[in-house]
Amino acid sequence: MTIKTNLLTDGMDIEHTVGNVFADDPKMSMRNVNVFYSDKQAIKNVSIDLARNQVTALIGPSGCGKSTFLRCLNRMNDTIDICSIKGSLLLDGEDIYHKKMDPVLLRARVGMVFQKPNPFPKSIYDNVAYGPRIHGLAASKDDLDEIVINSLQKAGLYKEVKDRLNSSGTGLSGGQQQRLCIARTIAVSPEVILMDEPASALDPIATAIIEELIDELKEKYTIAIVTHSMQQAARISQTTAYFHMGSLVEVGSTDHIFTNPSHKLTENYITGRFG
Amino acid sequence: MKQDLNITGHISKRYNQELEDIRCLLIEMGELVINQVEDGLNCLLTSDKELAQQVIINDKKVNQFEIKIDEACTHIIATRQPAASDLRLILCVIKTITDIERIGDEAVKLGRNALKLINSEKDLRQFKELKHLGEQVLSNLHLAMKAYASLDVELALQVIEQDEQINIEFDNISRLLITKMMEDPREIKNSLRITWCARSFERIGDHGKNICEYVVFLVKGKDVRHISIEQIKQTLEES
Repeated sequence: MTIKTNLLTDGMDIEHTVGNVFADDPKMSMRNVNVFYSDKQAIKNVSIDLARNQVTALIGPSGCGKSTFLRCLNRMNDTIDICSIKGSLLLDGEDIYHKKMDPVLLRARVGMVFQKPNPFPKSIYDNVAYGPRIHGLAASKDDLDEIVINSLQKAGLYKEVKDRLNSSGTGLSGGQQQRLCIARTIAVSPEVILMDEPASALDPIATAIIEELIDELKEKYTIAIVTHSMQQAARISQTTAYFHMGSLVEVGSTDHIFTNPSHKLTENYITGRFG
Repeated sequence: MKQDLNITGHISKRYNQELEDIRCLLIEMGELVINQVEDGLNCLLTSDKELAQQVIINDKKVNQFEIKIDEACTHIIATRQPAASDLRLILCVIKTITDIERIGDEAVKLGRNALKLINSEKDLRQFKELKHLGEQVLSNLHLAMKAYASLDVELALQVIEQDEQINIEFDNISRLLITKMMEDPREIKNSLRITWCARSFERIGDHGKNICEYVVFLVKGKDVRHISIEQIKQTLEES
């Protein structure tokens, strides 16, 4: 790993981040991102790339800003009045905070899966069909059927629900609900999927299924995942980013971070020491 | 270049204790095996039959240590999923005990060969080269265990470097013994036994060197096996 401390490119200041924040083939590039809730700074000058078709894990103690940062990537923080965001956030080179960028379309391109499965109180079919309908992605009922079935298949749920597509989505088990939410996200053909602790409310079996799914999904999508489980980050991600008190302390290949992290703070956190 | 891995810095006190216990057990095992090699050398040099038998018996203790430490490491992997320096410590311990156990086996070979040599009334007191090789190996082994105990990379590098000298001494002894065998074929049997003893010392030296390579990995996170000492130093300078 290259340690690029004191590297200043295009006025970019990453002197506090250890490790290479640049990806060879970035899907998203964030530079000098600062986030404030009123006058309280939640994210301090964070620069990082999300490598295309890779899983990037964001780890760090509670309140370190990892979820806040993740939510900036599809403008989920727009709804919070006191939240202001500075810096450059690019999706394939496009500024996602540009005034011409439609946040609804952006969220179709950058989908999100939350900690707690949150299916709509509708049928399994409608849960998945909702996005394609409002975005007008299906020309006919057959098209829509195909999208729904395809999405459920990709989310690894189709076999379990194919005979009850009209039953309520909320009647599924926790793990199935989470896969339904993933299917709903996939249905609008996103480019990036953001996951905020997607398996923390699930048992080990459902977790393993979700992790296996994430591994398959990265072939088609770029994924960023916030997780409190160190082992989960180690298992499923290729790149790991460690956040601490709003700063990005270290970025590196997951193998490197979990065997020989360069920053003492990272080491202390992943080994369960006093930080 | 001593390093502090802050083994006892975890939030879980029990985890601190478990890691500390493993570290201490390994140091104890190392001391035991150093004694075994020392006794192995002494029984050869003093033709002490009882000591030779004792070395063979004591190997059971070495083996018990290996099993005990292995179990403790398995427990930590299963319950703690160690990462970073903790993971390197566990890997280092698991690999080190294998080398220490093999050093124990070499000490047993010394004891067995000593018994045979004593039975054939071969006196090795005059064999200064073997004494020197044995002492050199013992000193290196001491330093290797010290490097492990104090996480001293510089000392570890010193041991790795000195192992080359041990190999040269072993080659010299082999040459000497081959000459003896050619001069007097009646000496072949005993000369072979002495060669095997020298070979055991040389192997112990290699195991000591391995332990030092694990120490470098533990402290620096760099795998320095199977490369020259110059390459090792270069790798460490780059990091």
